[in-house]
Amino acid sequence: MSLVSPDLTERSHTALADATLQTALKRATDTFIERRREAVAGVPDWEALRARARQIKEHTINHLDYYLEQLVEQVTALGGHVHWARTGEDVSRYIIELARARGVTSVVKSKSMATEEIELNHALEAAGIRPVETDLGEYIIQLAHEKPSHIIVPAIHKTREQIADLFAEKLKVGRAREVEEITAIARARLRHEFLSAGMGITGANFAVAETGTIVLVENEGNIRLSTQVPPIHVAVVGIEKVIPRFADLSVFLRLLPRSGTGQKQTAYVSFLNGPRQQTEIAHDSNSPNEFEFHLVLMDNGRTRILADEQLRESLYCIRCGACLNVCPVYQKIGGQAYGWIYPGPIGAVISPQLQGLKQAGELPFASSLCGACRDACPVAINLPDMLLALRAKAKETEGAHAGRRKLGESMAMRVYAATAQRPKLFVAVGAMVRRISRLLAKGGKITSAHVSPLDEWTRYRDLPVPTGRSFRAWWQEHKGDE
Amino acid sequence: MSETLRTSDQGQVLADIRRALGRSETVRPMPLEPFIEAPVVTTSAELVARFTEEITAVVGHAHRARSSAEVATHIARICADASVRELALSGASMLAELNLPAQLAAQHLSAVVVADFDSRSRDELIAFLAGCGVGVTAVDYAIAETGTLVLTSDEEQSLLVSLLPAIHIAVVHQHQISSSLATVIEKLNHERMLRAAPCRTATFITGPSRTSDVELTLSIGVHGPKALHVIMLGEDSNDARLESTTPTSA
Ligand code: SF4
Repeated sequence: MSLVSPDLTERSHTALADATLQTALKRATDTFIERRREAVAGVPDWEALRARARQIKEHTINHLDYYLEQLVEQVTALGGHVHWARTGEDVSRYIIELARARGVTSVVKSKSMATEEIELNHALEAAGIRPVETDLGEYIIQLAHEKPSHIIVPAIHKTREQIADLFAEKLKVGRAREVEEITAIARARLRHEFLSAGMGITGANFAVAETGTIVLVENEGNIRLSTQVPPIHVAVVGIEKVIPRFADLSVFLRLLPRSGTGQKQTAYVSFLNGPRQQTEIAHDSNSPNEFEFHLVLMDNGRTRILADEQLRESLYCIRCGACLNVCPVYQKIGGQAYGWIYPGPIGAVISPQLQGLKQAGELPFASSLCGACRDACPVAINLPDMLLALRAKAKETEGAHAGRRKLGESMAMRVYAATAQRPKLFVAVGAMVRRISRLLAKGGKITSAHVSPLDEWTRYRDLPVPTGRSFRAWWQEHKGDE
Repeated sequence: MSETLRTSDQGQVLADIRRALGRSETVRPMPLEPFIEAPVVTTSAELVARFTEEITAVVGHAHRARSSAEVATHIARICADASVRELALSGASMLAELNLPAQLAAQHLSAVVVADFDSRSRDELIAFLAGCGVGVTAVDYAIAETGTLVLTSDEEQSLLVSLLPAIHIAVVHQHQISSSLATVIEKLNHERMLRAAPCRTATFITGPSRTSDVELTLSIGVHGPKALHVIMLGEDSNDARLESTTPTSA
């Protein structure tokens, strides 16, 4: 399967023309935005938590070598195995060899961006090992041979009727009517898989250097089952997931569920310290532990991001999905149109880096630079600035995209890039654009602008009218508060 | 084990990281200043009320009990409602101290304590638990602000009791309830993690298992338990309690 995204425009048009998808996306993003808003409002010191989370991530990423060494030492001391992998292929090869050495023929997987990124399932299947996705959304996607449309709810583009048909066809079951029935079918099927699998594969939300603890956040219980039923647990973890101390979790476990699903806490959080210990059955206490834990630390392009000071902070991401929901572009085209597993503003930043700029260089253009993503991000990642930097870079390296867009839009981009690099001019031009936009607006939205380059922009979407003040102006006023 | 498998790229990845960060050796950083949050003053009664409210909000059931007999009565009622006759008990000392197996036997229920499970085979235990209607565990901590139970275990069998049966019943002493996540992370850290033999697994449980993966519609009981009952044991008290998260020294 190629990682090349053939044509972003084409996929976006397909998405925009898909009425079912448009309804699903609107519902999902509206719901998540509202739930998140409520959950965040319940935390009086939210901004302090965000600032702390950012501080911890910045500190850790700047000392990544130190904290990874500490993590490895702790995991090893707990009796776990650690494997370092430079590439996705290294990860797959390690897991396949391990599975073969232990005679494992089927593995249960819980939702993990890291393993999707490296297309582990394809590698396992090619090696004759059967991977079963166990998160309900991922299970649906796997049965349908599709790609996820949202990082938190991967099958959000499918209706219950479509899923009922899919189950009836693939699982040879009666056609479910209610969501409860769909869930019950999946529960029964997957229970059997959990009990018979030889290995469970997960990602990790956090890996604590100080204690060697792997932390996994979920709602369904499939991660608990994947890590606690099969004798072998393999966690595939990007090197940026390490955090220094166990106490830091008190910050991240407040931010992540509220930002992701708008829950105060998810149903389950698992903290795993090395392999489980066999309960001593009196007559058997000398036999070796039958449980194994393997931590696979994966680079796969992350050190490339680390080397780029402008993009380094994209490694602070805790994959909550908040920036997708608030993004006006994501809201319209959904995850699949981005062509790779990381969608939305964060995807537009990291996909080109992880895949190499040539392959997804157009993604940074799929954003409106409105700044909503930065405001929603629990670690305050400056996504708009990074997108801008990437656009400038793409402009430098190739002129191919410019030809495809209308001259006006491409010129606007060039003007944008030029002004953005000159702070005073940027402020002045920004003020002018806000004034002109308000002239074009009807009822708070710009529904169809006949002024190039806005006409391309408003063909499928309403453009919210900028507020009278820029983010920068607001920031100048408020940054003293912290 | 892994030594016989592929060689690890440790040196190479670490070298790439150092190069990216512009240094040739790992330097030990100064740890961050601790994050200090305002202490919380609360009473036991307030904690119980908040805990109950949050458990209910996540579709869990909260019950009160003043004695071990009342705990057994609650369990018997839950079993009767679900037509369950056989249940699994974790090996927690708290459940033994409440004399639950005998109390439940008096209610005509057959309670199997997993630590005594009469079999050599883990597979048989798993099959038993997966088919079991009710699993009863103790808890180690509880968090009022989110309705969260914290189970720690070195013995994997006890964890499976809270995971595989269709209904999970947790018994919690009122004094185990803390107000905030920050307090419990601090306790877990000092009492279970930062010690010579850290606990193997800790699990936060907030309500029964759930999913919104189909049309964002909430559906309860996907892979884990379909129902969660929390029995709070103890008398009401209005004594003020001070909780603060003392910062970890690095
Ligand atoms: S960039 Fe921020 S908002 Fe987006 S997924 Fe990552 S942590 Fe969440």
